[in-house]
Amino acid sequence: MGRLVAGELIKVRTTRTALGFGAASLLLVVAGVTITILAGHPDTIDDKRSALNFGDAISLVVLLFGAVGATGEFRHRTLAPAVLIAPDRLRLLVARIGAYALTGAALAAVMALVTFAIGIPLLAGESGPDLAGGDYAKLVAGGLLVSALAVAIGVAFGTLVRNQVFAVIGVLVWITILEPLVGLIKDRLLDYTLGSALTGVAEGGSDRLSFGGAIVVLLAWTVVMLAAAAIVDGRRDVE
Amino acid sequence: MAGATAIEAAGLTKRYADVTAVDDLTFAVREGSVTGFLGPNGAGKTTTLRMVLGLARPTTGTATIEGRRYVELDDPARTVGANLEVAGAHPGRSGRNHLRALAAMAGLPRSRVDEVLRLVELDAAADRRAGKYSLGMRQRLGLAATLLGDPRVLVLDEPANGLDPQGIRWLRDFLRGMAAEGRTVLVSSHVLAEVAQTVDDVVVIHHGRLVQQGPVQALTSAGVLVRSPRANELRTALYNEGLTAAETPDGALVVEGADAARVGEVAFAAGVPLHELSPRATSLEEAFLALTSDPDPAAPAAEKAPPWAGWSPES
Repeated sequence: MGRLVAGELIKVRTTRTALGFGAASLLLVVAGVTITILAGHPDTIDDKRSALNFGDAISLVVLLFGAVGATGEFRHRTLAPAVLIAPDRLRLLVARIGAYALTGAALAAVMALVTFAIGIPLLAGESGPDLAGGDYAKLVAGGLLVSALAVAIGVAFGTLVRNQVFAVIGVLVWITILEPLVGLIKDRLLDYTLGSALTGVAEGGSDRLSFGGAIVVLLAWTVVMLAAAAIVDGRRDVE
Repeated sequence: MAGATAIEAAGLTKRYADVTAVDDLTFAVREGSVTGFLGPNGAGKTTTLRMVLGLARPTTGTATIEGRRYVELDDPARTVGANLEVAGAHPGRSGRNHLRALAAMAGLPRSRVDEVLRLVELDAAADRRAGKYSLGMRQRLGLAATLLGDPRVLVLDEPANGLDPQGIRWLRDFLRGMAAEGRTVLVSSHVLAEVAQTVDDVVVIHHGRLVQQGPVQALTSAGVLVRSPRANELRTALYNEGLTAAETPDGALVVEGADAARVGEVAFAAGVPLHELSPRATSLEEAFLALTSDPDPAAPAAEKAPPWAGWSPES
């Protein structure tokens, strides 16, 4: 398994796709933390925590990164050479997801450094109580977890859809249109949507879901998506 | 072990909805041979190779390599090298990085990447992105990936596509070199002149069915030409020995199903003088076209008789 993950990591590192999504994440994080603090002047613990919530800022980007990466295998027909080396499709899928999850976590770690490097000095000039060490720890842990699991879900979604354009549109429609509509059916259902779980974990808990509850919901989404991808992928011929 | 079977397909069938791409296909590839896998476009060659390699599931039937299904091989990269797509590389990734990723997945050292790049003469362009490669360069990159694990069996789908004449000559030498090292090569191609110079055996399919399998000489053999001033006596003698002969426009006979020595012995026993006795061969292209020109899937072209065949004293 380690060999497969190593190979998939080389694949992730050696195209511009990861670089592009990394740059997009950096832009979002820098703009988000700077504008939120300088324009919003946060003065409560919740507002300050929200200002440094890099995980929520990049969750949609890394979700798309996973979807684009997985569909790229189908688009460029690069799956067959890998399957010829590793005919066990489940192992190969798990290795790919593992490689993307590691990349997502590494990206989140960099974004945490950037966020804190910019945000902590800026927050020092704001009034109100300061964030405690536990707040920072939750933001880092939540951000890493969100980034790793969001990219894994993106890979699973891309594996299911295969078409790159449909996958990107599908992720956007899912998160920005369909999930908010779920609230119209029953407000309580919103607690269990992927978007809510990502936000809840990234923030270290929200008014809708506790940190632990959000982690459980996000893990459930991850398991369901990975299982669906594994079952569907295992039944397909390789193009 | 000469003569052992390296690749075997037994009753392979692949159906897509109402379309039968491969229909009850059975063939074997000898260990240490270069076998040409021939058929017109759409005959089912690539689908068959994909089933052999475990990339597509047969509807029925089995395919094995060294006696095991591909998915059951202990170390696929060191057993089989296969190239079904032109490189199958991401256009934004360099050739070297493409190979590095595959080598890492196979647990091969990075130095092996440099070795295969030199072997396919792509080392000078290894750090360019694969999207900038010519078709011939992508073919070489695909071959390099095929060779990474130094495999005993090679399965190549149309490797001559996109190669210039120098590239085709290089490929021919490459394949013969692989066979000389004792490796088994199964290569599909539609460049028949090239195949004729390279392969030991052929497997010909048409409409997803086997129409011919065996040594390439057997496929291109066109009987024995024999010329005698007493042709009628010779024809009768041949007929009595169970052989049929057809007369050519200039009065010679073409005997099917026997070699020159056998025809000479029959003539000698009958006391018939001979003025010429020579084996005839057709080109692989002519033989291939004769085998695959039948548009009716229910009537394999292999059963078509040549126009001069079928003579007997009663006819």
